Amino acid sequence: MNRQLLVPVHRTLPWGAVGAAGGAGLLLAALTRTGETGERLSLPLLRAAVLAFALGLVFLLDDPARHTTATVPTPRPVRVALRTALVVPAAAAWWTVALLLVPPDVRPPVGDLTLEAGAAFVLAVTAAAAVVRFTEVTRPGLPVAGGLLTTAVLALLLWPERWALFVAVEDKRWAAAHDRWAVLLAAAALAGMLCTREPLRRGAWRPAR
Amino acid sequence: MTPTVSASGIGLRYGGTRALDDVSLRLTGGVTGLLGPNGAGKTTLLRVLATALPADQGAFTVLGHDPSTARGRQEVRRRLGYLPQTPGFHPDFTAFEFVDYVAILKEMTDRGVRHREVRRVLDEVGLADVRGKRMRKLSGGMRQRVALAAALVGDPGFLVLDEPTVGLDPEQRMRFRELIAGAGEGRTVLLSTHQTEDVAMLCHRVLVMAGGRIRFDGTPAELTARAAGRVWSSTERDPGARAGWRTGTGSFRNVGDPPDGADLLEPTLEDGYLLTLDGAGAEVAA
Repeated sequence: MNRQLLVPVHRTLPWGAVGAAGGAGLLLAALTRTGETGERLSLPLLRAAVLAFALGLVFLLDDPARHTTATVPTPRPVRVALRTALVVPAAAAWWTVALLLVPPDVRPPVGDLTLEAGAAFVLAVTAAAAVVRFTEVTRPGLPVAGGLLTTAVLALLLWPERWALFVAVEDKRWAAAHDRWAVLLAAAALAGMLCTREPLRRGAWRPAR
Repeated sequence: MTPTVSASGIGLRYGGTRALDDVSLRLTGGVTGLLGPNGAGKTTLLRVLATALPADQGAFTVLGHDPSTARGRQEVRRRLGYLPQTPGFHPDFTAFEFVDYVAILKEMTDRGVRHREVRRVLDEVGLADVRGKRMRKLSGGMRQRVALAAALVGDPGFLVLDEPTVGLDPEQRMRFRELIAGAGEGRTVLLSTHQTEDVAMLCHRVLVMAGGRIRFDGTPAELTARAAGRVWSSTERDPGARAGWRTGTGSFRNVGDPPDGADLLEPTLEDGYLLTLDGAGAEVAA
């Protein structure tokens, strides 16, 4: 990969959307410091913060020059990987700050919650990659954000108990739920990689015209 | 002469619609025009040949490489310039930065050589004076020229242009014709357009598409000749004409099968195109 791509690709990233989502997420995380109610709600507030940041990440693959650069020799997976790699340090820093905003005595298990956050972030980018893969849109962010928000709300309300994901720390299903989060993370990462491939022959997966 | 593009039996479906149906063609140097109505399959064909979209059927080579393999596609893309129907840009980039970005994506690694090349193509499309201007501040015609510069950067052997003159005013279109004519010297250019004048003025060869198939392949003169003896003038619209319209002089120009003793007119390329489409429509309906 040409290192000279770093600066222009960095400039094409949607830092405004990511920053706004990150700011909203940190505000939610900071609510855990507002007293007893905040402390009691530390887990749902952190999960809401994760969702907020994930809503910013769905804009990662917005690229108005998508069609103009459709046939360059630098492969699409390389370009997607570069965009993702450039945003990873920002996501890691944001998550560290979000965790530090929660008082240590009410902070949920960091490792397990980091797994949830990782899965949510990868799902968000994968959803955007899928829209890019199967449609001609240049800015998938907004529709994917709407879809992700709706999916999150529906998952909270309708997700089957036997496959529970959003469980409380003291719930005996906590460990099993995080096994499922790990599977979700792996599946989302795999789907994301498949979505960034460029097909050589058209098969069952067909991009729209 | 080795063809730049050699395609045989290309087919592509969108659901139940056959967007490309058994398309075979060979392209060599110079500008080839691709005419056809909306939905004819022009953009799909261009995208397949430019490796932006894989075909369902058929085989083809571009610049001697097979784009159905990863390595072949990579080699094609190294020598390809593509101007899509609706080019997009990063609005905060300057014209120079945007073309430079495309040049980096085209694997031009030496900064000095690349910057010289970017300046060369911006100069070629007449944008040397505004290369430091941000994309969002450029007019539509200027942006279109930036997109052409991006397609030209790296001196590609095969240039694919999808309706580059759409939305341009007559002066800009004239300027674009000059650019495309220049681009066609020493390389192969495939130009999709709705403008028959563009084809008449620029192209040594013309393809007419309808219903996903190539209905005509020949020179502009041969396409025009299809309408010889089939264009006539009358004081009223002739009900037997396939197409007819009142001209600025008040008389009607009719295209189709003229009645005996009709006042025949000199055909244009557009007349030949209309009659070719009319024949294609009859064939499709049959």
